Amino acid sequence: MQTKTNRLSLISYLDLSQLLEVYRGNHEENRLFALKHKSLEKKPTQMLLLWAKEHRFHLTQTLNSKGFFSSLEFTTKMLLSLFFVMGILTGLGLLSYSGTSPVNITYYLFFSVVIPLFSMMLTLFTMLSRGGVAEFFSIFSLLHWIDKLMPHLPFIKKKKIFTQELLPPRLVKWMFMERLQRISLMFSIGLLLALIFVVVVKDIAFGWSTTLNITPASFQMFISNIAIFWRDILPSTVPSLELIEMSQYFRLGERLDINLVENASKLGAWWKFLALSTLFYAIGMRLLFWFMTHYGYRKILKKEFRLIKGADVLLREFKTPFVSTEAPIVESHLEISEEVNLQVENTAHRSYHTIFGWNFSNDEILLANDSKEIKYSYFASVGGKNSFEEDEKEAKIASVTVLLYVKSWEPPTMDFIDFLELLINNKKVGAVQVYPLGTVGRYYESDAKDIDVWKRKVQSLRSEKVWVIDD
Amino acid sequence: MIDLKNNGLDYPQFAVVGHPNKGKSSIVSSLALDDSVQIGDTPGTTQVKRGFPLTVDGKVVYELFDTPGFQRARRILSWLNSQEHVSADKRPNVVRKFIDEHREEKRYRDEIELLEPIMNGAGIIYVVDASKPYGPEYEVEMEILRWTGQPSMAILNLIGNEDYRDEWKKALGQYFRLVRTFNPITATFGDHMSLLESMAQLKEEWTTAIKVAIGILNDLHQHKVEQSVDAIVSNMQRTLSYVYVKKIKSEKATVEEKESAKEKYREQSIEYEKKLEQEIEFIWNHRSVDKVENLVVFEDIGLFSKESASIFGLSENELTITGASAGAMSGLGIDAIFGGNTLFLASIIGGIVGGIGARVGFDNLYEVKILGQNLGKRELTVGPMKNLNFPYILLGRSLYHASVIAKRSHALRDSVELEDEEFFTEQIIGSEARKKLEKLHVKLRKGEEPSDELVSEYRKVILQCFLRLLR
Repeated sequence: MQTKTNRLSLISYLDLSQLLEVYRGNHEENRLFALKHKSLEKKPTQMLLLWAKEHRFHLTQTLNSKGFFSSLEFTTKMLLSLFFVMGILTGLGLLSYSGTSPVNITYYLFFSVVIPLFSMMLTLFTMLSRGGVAEFFSIFSLLHWIDKLMPHLPFIKKKKIFTQELLPPRLVKWMFMERLQRISLMFSIGLLLALIFVVVVKDIAFGWSTTLNITPASFQMFISNIAIFWRDILPSTVPSLELIEMSQYFRLGERLDINLVENASKLGAWWKFLALSTLFYAIGMRLLFWFMTHYGYRKILKKEFRLIKGADVLLREFKTPFVSTEAPIVESHLEISEEVNLQVENTAHRSYHTIFGWNFSNDEILLANDSKEIKYSYFASVGGKNSFEEDEKEAKIASVTVLLYVKSWEPPTMDFIDFLELLINNKKVGAVQVYPLGTVGRYYESDAKDIDVWKRKVQSLRSEKVWVIDD
Repeated sequence: MIDLKNNGLDYPQFAVVGHPNKGKSSIVSSLALDDSVQIGDTPGTTQVKRGFPLTVDGKVVYELFDTPGFQRARRILSWLNSQEHVSADKRPNVVRKFIDEHREEKRYRDEIELLEPIMNGAGIIYVVDASKPYGPEYEVEMEILRWTGQPSMAILNLIGNEDYRDEWKKALGQYFRLVRTFNPITATFGDHMSLLESMAQLKEEWTTAIKVAIGILNDLHQHKVEQSVDAIVSNMQRTLSYVYVKKIKSEKATVEEKESAKEKYREQSIEYEKKLEQEIEFIWNHRSVDKVENLVVFEDIGLFSKESASIFGLSENELTITGASAGAMSGLGIDAIFGGNTLFLASIIGGIVGGIGARVGFDNLYEVKILGQNLGKRELTVGPMKNLNFPYILLGRSLYHASVIAKRSHALRDSVELEDEEFFTEQIIGSEARKKLEKLHVKLRKGEEPSDELVSEYRKVILQCFLRLLR
């Protein structure tokens, strides 16, 4: 019994949806498959994965997953590298220090705290919303536009498949969010590395400046609030009021604040705060969001995997016992000749030498004779509970034209045919007229289809002696 | 093939036997839910015995045998009686001896075919046509069956319009433990189950197996109901959201182009409906190829015909109410955006407009649009269906067809006729249900993807309607 299965991935999703478009098996096969893999009974996803693996040979065309996944991987890796470089360049740019004025920490904080928090807030909204609303939140992201632009790039176009139409919107949303976290994370790592690099190789004087009427005490409180998560553990990383006062600068023409110049050596202490805020907000929280979106993506992938068109039927067939009520052997249909016997009389004669009633009692024969106003020389009951020997005796007595009453609704059995053959073989008998009668309740009227049955049977005897009366 | 068969015959078997042309095959066909059984007016249609096992995952629960009718019963009884006198307990051995000695004789082929399963342990289900008078000739057959010593029951099948059940019961009661009426043509699923319950009473050892079989068949029935509902829901979504798109060269579409597009749209909708009908017939096991061609429910009543609208559509009053509710639903969205500050004016206006629109647009089916004029690639589109009545016409037809097929006996071989014009969609789908259904219709009309919850609610309503029709 094979129980080793694959891990669910985007490739398995795409492969199964493509496979189910061309092949779904039938209930019997699918149930047999489930019975063979009973250990996976309570693991529907694993069961589907294994089913897809075993039936993949039905897919003869190029796999959608191949093109899609390689395009996705290619673009994602490219974007990861690009954003990492962008992070470094942004860091270097923000921390560029000419020596004439300090590096403004607010610009850096904007990239290390404000933008990540805003982006994570949008991610949160996207997570919690659906449909058009979720799409609305995603348009604020650069990745959204890159993804939109990507299929139109000539080198991507050549790969033909870069369409998210293959995936359900919910999955696309979570894929997007997960990629967004990874890419943002790379940017932030680049930013942090740039900060460390610059701090190591340069002596930077950090400062802050504002046109607004913000006092150093208020700014300290703001900074302290940013550092709320680590200020008790690492108090030295939180800038003191003194440092904040010291690092505030006002630019009036080309001249720097004298206080700033005097304390230039102390102003570098800001780097610890900047590094930790980057580490906590841009990297730590982003990592948390990445885990969350990755978990959400896996969860949705699993959910959507079972919702692939046709997968529900497959799962139901795995679970539902295969019930068959049909005959395993196909019946060879009997060809029925529709040809009608030409040996048909429209009326009975007025009198007969011999009258037999097949499965009729004597009273019933007399009643029929009376009703049909038929005279007779001899009559007898045949068939029924008579023994075959008794019927043989009666057949020998018969002569000239024999009228044989039969119950029209009772089809001729071989027992009847045996008796008819006795009459045919009796040389004294010139003709046998088979007269199918309906029930007394219907005044002996018969259904046409019943008469046809008798006609066909008599025809099959191919005897010129036998006629059917159809009045 | 699932092949987990129980080799030891520890399951009950039943041989359906009787005079030729008394509906044995019809009964087997009905009980086995198999329409591949050849049924005809010509006696001797069944030439060899044919087993119909009820299997669950390859394990046989019970087996029915369709057998040829008695042909030379008198001769067999005569042979049995001619043997050395034996006590009642030894009589089955005499029957066995008859089979062994005459196995190669062509003239007893039918009797051997029907006696063999009985002598292998099958219970006897003796079938007679109780719409025709009782005849003592049957006693020969019943006597032979008594010789086999197997548990037996008789079924009174009413093939014709007359009723001779009382006289049959008097005779059959002397030979059979149970006598039941069962008309395979009109039998409901409930009748089917009660007959099985009677069969369970034939032998104590069979009771459990038959009870299990009843449970399985109930589950199977429920499974088929669920499958049918899924198919109907899927067809509703597919048809109502369908949009026909055609590229056009000129600035405006010509009348011919518009008409041709409308025709194509209609053709596709009809094609979808046909596919659904085939799917439903497949689910309910009405699969026989030569019969499916005749199994036309809506022969002269097309999906887009006025007759269809009058039978399956809503009345103008109901349509107005539905239109108003659909309009209100759209307005509710606007109210929600404004947090109810509109005093639900949008809902009220939407309701009024929707109600009037439904009346005015009674004959308006779909929207014909030309898209992409500004982009230079002009497309003529038809759909999605705008008519408020159409979903109910389509749903009414689907439910009607599915219920006819679900209730149809597998013994029937003629075509289905739409004779029950008492079917009114309004009665099947009440106003409360319509409100729920309309939520999805509104979405599909707008070309929006409905949520899983909405589809699930829709499915629930359809399931209830379908179950009501099956009662």
